[in-house]
Amino acid sequence: MKARNVLRVARWETTRSAGDIDRETAVAFVVVLLALAAIVPALVTMGPTPGEGIYRVGVTEDSQYADVVASDPQLVAVDPGADADVVVTDTTITYDDTAKGRAALSTLRSATVGYNDFLMRQEPDQNAAFPVVVSLTYRPQSIDVTGTQTGDDATDDDDDLDGSEGGAGAGTGGDDGQQAGGDGGGDGVAGGDDIPATGGGLSGLLGQAQSGTPSSISPPFPLQSLVFAFAFLLPLNIVIQAYGSSVLAERINRRGEPMLVAPISRGDIVAGKTLPYLLGALALISAIAAATGASALAVLAVAPLAALFLAATFFGAMLARSYKELTFVTVTVSVALTAYAFVPAVFAEVHPIAAISPLTVVVDSITGDGVTAGQFVLSTVPPGLAAFVLFGLGTGVYREEDMFTQLPIPSKLLDALAAPLTTRWRAGLWTALFLPFVFVAELFAVAVLFVAPVSISIPLLLGTVAVIEEVAKSIHVFAGFERGQYDRTFRNALVVGAASGVGFFLAEKLLLVTQLVGLPELDVAQAAFSPELLGASPGLLLVAPLALHVVTAAVSAVGAARSRLAYLGTLALAIVLHVAYNLAVVVVSLG
Amino acid sequence: MISVRGLQKRYGDVTAVDGVSFEVDTGEVFGLVGPNGAGKTSTLKMLCGLVEPSAGDVTVNGFDAGETEMRRSLGFLPEESPLYDEMSPRGYLRFFADLYDVDRETANERIEAALDRLDLDARDRPVGDFSKGMKRKVAIARSLVNDPDVLVYDEPASGLDPLTTNTVVEFTRELADDGKTIVFSAHDLHHVESVCDRVAIMRDGQLAATGTLADIREEHGDVSYRVFTDVPVERSEPAGDRHVTAVDSMDDVEAIRSAAADAGGEVVDIRTDESTLEDVFLDVTGT
Repeated sequence: MKARNVLRVARWETTRSAGDIDRETAVAFVVVLLALAAIVPALVTMGPTPGEGIYRVGVTEDSQYADVVASDPQLVAVDPGADADVVVTDTTITYDDTAKGRAALSTLRSATVGYNDFLMRQEPDQNAAFPVVVSLTYRPQSIDVTGTQTGDDATDDDDDLDGSEGGAGAGTGGDDGQQAGGDGGGDGVAGGDDIPATGGGLSGLLGQAQSGTPSSISPPFPLQSLVFAFAFLLPLNIVIQAYGSSVLAERINRRGEPMLVAPISRGDIVAGKTLPYLLGALALISAIAAATGASALAVLAVAPLAALFLAATFFGAMLARSYKELTFVTVTVSVALTAYAFVPAVFAEVHPIAAISPLTVVVDSITGDGVTAGQFVLSTVPPGLAAFVLFGLGTGVYREEDMFTQLPIPSKLLDALAAPLTTRWRAGLWTALFLPFVFVAELFAVAVLFVAPVSISIPLLLGTVAVIEEVAKSIHVFAGFERGQYDRTFRNALVVGAASGVGFFLAEKLLLVTQLVGLPELDVAQAAFSPELLGASPGLLLVAPLALHVVTAAVSAVGAARSRLAYLGTLALAIVLHVAYNLAVVVVSLG
Repeated sequence: MISVRGLQKRYGDVTAVDGVSFEVDTGEVFGLVGPNGAGKTSTLKMLCGLVEPSAGDVTVNGFDAGETEMRRSLGFLPEESPLYDEMSPRGYLRFFADLYDVDRETANERIEAALDRLDLDARDRPVGDFSKGMKRKVAIARSLVNDPDVLVYDEPASGLDPLTTNTVVEFTRELADDGKTIVFSAHDLHHVESVCDRVAIMRDGQLAATGTLADIREEHGDVSYRVFTDVPVERSEPAGDRHVTAVDSMDDVEAIRSAAADAGGEVVDIRTDESTLEDVFLDVTGT
């Protein structure tokens, strides 16, 4: 690949694309960007207010509670005689004995505590206002597959509980500052003690101090993370539309054919066509980072994700036969990758599973939380490597014979997978190169399943992992036999299968990067990436997985060498073997 | 200049080109003709490195097909004229000149010269507004921006109106006069006949005949003679005040000459009827 050629194509692509965009599209794009630039900082700084004014509180203007109601956007003051969820008089607080009435009362109570805190923070002597200050730290949630709790964990939990109580002590110091607070907390209407407090989340979002009893303090509401994730992902979805169209335009009516004869490589063409869109995406991300106060680290973290968006779109556009199919491709890419990045990032402040998403780095950089090197590697390397491999596969079919033929997508997919398999050992190499996809898919499975009960999530995950890994080890081998890259002999099947298994085993060891960020603390993550770590003997750590991968890959390859139907059968058998192995490891590790 | 040996291309179970071999000398114009699906386009694409052969070798100017240096010395015109509708001819051609490392000044000279010769005046309008013939001219100009030694043209006049076809044919002939080595395919046999030094006729992926037009006619065509005598001879028919006999060989002509002399007359005229290239094409391809 030559930089000069890449830049030539990139410059041309920029000029051509600019000429291809009509005025209306350009205006619409700018409007979307401006709206995004205006909305995101506003959401970040002001905070959205879900459920504004949903609870009606009957209170007179001269009541001490009038200011409390005014301080909480979820509450709206109405005349005490009007229809209200909660009615406050000089001596009593009454509420409708309905779900909404109880929720209104709870919100009023939280608002009262918050209002008291607000008043106390105005006091000139903060030591007198808050004689005890406790730092509250949310600890990562962990689910123990054995159902037991270690002593250390128990101790940690105790510490947390003490902290919460300390926080509560600070909060109840409001008794001196505002009578209404004391009354609200202690003299509530009958049944109030049974009503869980629901407040505190939004105050966490808005950066206010949290205080109160332990039950009234909840983890920060992740709305801010949602907003950030949305803001950083939206431009990528717009960019891939333009990029996918540009790639497909080369294939429609064979427009890209003359360039394939020019004295530049396919890599030059693909890189040149991609560069403007990648730079455009990074420019948009940088602008959004600047608007939201994210650091350069956030931009670096999102860059591999942007590359993966483009790579998946490029590969899809190389397979699509029409703009209609391209739409299907871009929507699939958009949904899949947005889910991969978005779902874990929602838990940025509450759970280590968030570490798999680059957007978590963004959130952490904005909120000032530290980003470890391991977290950065885990969130950026898999999508980066996956992008690299996808670009490689797509470039493999960026040639006359594949670009302009109207074959079905599965057929072209097989072409793409088979093209690099020029020798038998290359099956192992490409199995290893598929590892980022395996990693991404398994991380996503972990992200989806970690909230389920262990009794469900672990078996499901073991099955999912087996399917992902066995398909990754065999699909290109099947393509190689289907496309005549390998002769359909039993010996060939064994050799290619063994190469694939060894390639997978070696690459799998890279998954130990999960150790860097503590994901193995999650039992569900251990089950996905390193079930051996659950307690198998060290001697088996190398031999057993190697044997598993070689055997199952060879089994699949034997079927692949015979026919499509035979491949499906042997693949199913390989998956069953893999699941049995995983279950055995888990059972053995649990004694 | 161009050497093709044992060229083969398989697409799955289908063999599109099967063992094609030929040589093209410097400055020669070589035509590939054959019915649809005969393997002409696949052969041309392998020739310029666009498609990888399943077997066989292609060298151009001593370089293997597909090598960067080989691409620099080659201009390719595909069957369609795949242009970018939003670009102007000048912008489009400058971009390709850039890809071929042609400096801006030289590129501009070549672009203007080519467009002048092709009589294309609309040089800054988007090609999306162009007719098929105008687009074809832009595509031809693109094949010349690197001033290549070798031109590979696939159906250069396909689908064009007679006027534009004539322009393209004339231009091809001018390029040949300039010393370019040209390999092209065509359905229009008159085009081939008027431009080509040698022709290869393809059928079912193989070369059915190769050589100069005269060679091919001699090998695959029919030659007949009409011998006019002033006296009747055996099998002759009256033709005005003369008699005519149709024969297939010069031996028969000599036999008629002897017979006429024996009858006290003589041969007064001999006319030769040769197969046209079209006749040969139909005969060789079995269509």
